Amino acid sequence: MYYVKIFRYLLLVLALSGGWVLNSSAQTTVPNQQSERSGLSKKERRKVRPQYIGVNIGTNRIKFRDFATSPLFYEGWTTYVGVSWLKADRYRESEAALTYSFGNPETDFNENVATSNFNRFELFYSRLYHVGAWSTSSFNTKVGWMLNTTGNLRTTPELGNYALGLEAFPTLFFSFKLTKNIGRTENKERRQNLSLRTNIGLVNAAYRNGFIHYPGQGIEVNEPDIFKNYELNVAGFRASTGLDYTRYLRNKNAIQISYIWDAYHTGGDLNRFEMANHTLKFTLLFNTNNQ
Amino acid sequence: MKNIILFFIPVILVFTACEDAFFEDDLASTNPRENFDYLWTECNEKYSYFALKNIDWDAVRKKYSAKIFEGMSEDSLFNVLGGMLAELRDDHTGLVSSFNISRFGTRYLGQDNFDWRIIVDHYLGQDFYASGPFAHGFLENGEIGYVWFPSFTGTVDDENLDFILERYTDTKGLILDLRENNGGNINDMFAILSRLVEEETILYYSRTKNGPGRDDFSEPEAARVKPHDDIRYTKKVAVLVDRGTYSAGSFTSLATKALPNVILVGDTTGGGLGLPNGGQLPNGWTYRFSITQALDLDLNPDFEDGVPPDVPVLFNWDDLTIDEVLERAILELQ
Repeated sequence: MYYVKIFRYLLLVLALSGGWVLNSSAQTTVPNQQSERSGLSKKERRKVRPQYIGVNIGTNRIKFRDFATSPLFYEGWTTYVGVSWLKADRYRESEAALTYSFGNPETDFNENVATSNFNRFELFYSRLYHVGAWSTSSFNTKVGWMLNTTGNLRTTPELGNYALGLEAFPTLFFSFKLTKNIGRTENKERRQNLSLRTNIGLVNAAYRNGFIHYPGQGIEVNEPDIFKNYELNVAGFRASTGLDYTRYLRNKNAIQISYIWDAYHTGGDLNRFEMANHTLKFTLLFNTNNQ
Repeated sequence: MKNIILFFIPVILVFTACEDAFFEDDLASTNPRENFDYLWTECNEKYSYFALKNIDWDAVRKKYSAKIFEGMSEDSLFNVLGGMLAELRDDHTGLVSSFNISRFGTRYLGQDNFDWRIIVDHYLGQDFYASGPFAHGFLENGEIGYVWFPSFTGTVDDENLDFILERYTDTKGLILDLRENNGGNINDMFAILSRLVEEETILYYSRTKNGPGRDDFSEPEAARVKPHDDIRYTKKVAVLVDRGTYSAGSFTSLATKALPNVILVGDTTGGGLGLPNGGQLPNGWTYRFSITQALDLDLNPDFEDGVPPDVPVLFNWDDLTIDEVLERAILELQ
């Protein structure tokens, strides 16, 4: 049964790749690309690359299951906030962000309600590079990587001694991103973009409790250490996708509406962890270098 | 903008549908058999005292599995599962539903040995002091200090202890009454015992289940206590215990075996030397059971069934003016 699910996961990855594959068939180089790039040195290109500070707010629908303490899914809406840094042009894109989600997902199966006070932290940095062979005048393709660490801090009072859940999921992703200019004008100051980014976990890790989930471990020997029984498990799988609509303003700032999907399943045995996030967020991007 | 929204909606729907690829099957179930199997397996792999208590968990499965049938009521299922857990003879083990909580009841293995009213009426008087979680006063014309500590609330602090120990500095001995103290926050124990030692002392050892096998445990770790920098009590101390002394109360009782100036008076404690851990069943009920072992200084886990007193004394309920356990402790301290 589980192999069927993995097969579905692979299908999902293929589906995500679909647009990229179709797009690559165009094989049209970007007009003026060479002249644009050759006219500036690397240092100059870096200098004129637009740079933004982003402020994000949104909502995140989460669903998770921690096999160490429960076979039941916890689901609910959380509030999402974050700050980001973005430096991007057609050829290069660097992004870093720190986000925080908080809320109270719960399970109420069979009228047994348990509510988790849930806090999710995410820190990532990514680099994307233009792929000229797979780009056209209206489509831009970039590939690269993302290093992402997501941490959860959960307390579920109904679970008594094992109420606390604290874990981190470091992931190295392979990333690719398609961007389409959908504005009706070529005017750089009023352009609109739609982009789809997909991240496939290459190295998926989880740092969480081992065989026994007992957050207060060590208290009985007068040496409390919340990480005493923790293990770094490099296994499992993770993927995420971001769909962004970006509208650039006359003052060189931008607004962005995004939908982000992120799902993972850790390795391990009795301590496996599964989670899916659906984030809808609104971002104000403030241009910081007037480019 | 309308087109953008129309583009977002199907993408969101696709990924919402696809998230199942990352999840294993939904295990939520009210099926009695599935819940029985889940609980039995969790205990089988994680419970820490099968060997010591000589429990044949496979035989327990056979016995209680026969009581499971399709269509049984939740109340019946609860009684079967609760009965199965009671076979572990451990009050750190239990099942919690919205309509009942299962328990074993170690305190009922022995007679009742404590009545606070007798102590107030015939020993302490009503003008006793209450300092934080402690109630205390003088006995025997000021020669003995008596401290009742009914629960490890986690609120013991330096101010409480400084006041109490300073007050009883000139006594011949101190009585710490832990009868019917069913435990709580073990940090309190280290705070109290740090006032009774003059050098760093190993109190006991602890080890944690780290695999599904019966003997899969971590290496034993020493529980140490260092002497507090401030006021300490160096004279003789009697700790009163009974079957109702459980968990952190039993840890304290076990620790007294490593302290030469402390004696244990009363009845064998209830045990509870394995820290509890657990989770939820597929039907949403919660359970817990012991996942560690406390070992004495010879690395024996034998005290899980109760820490025996150095001076065994039982209460005589024929005379409700005398607390025999307290009387004996006073005698030991004279």
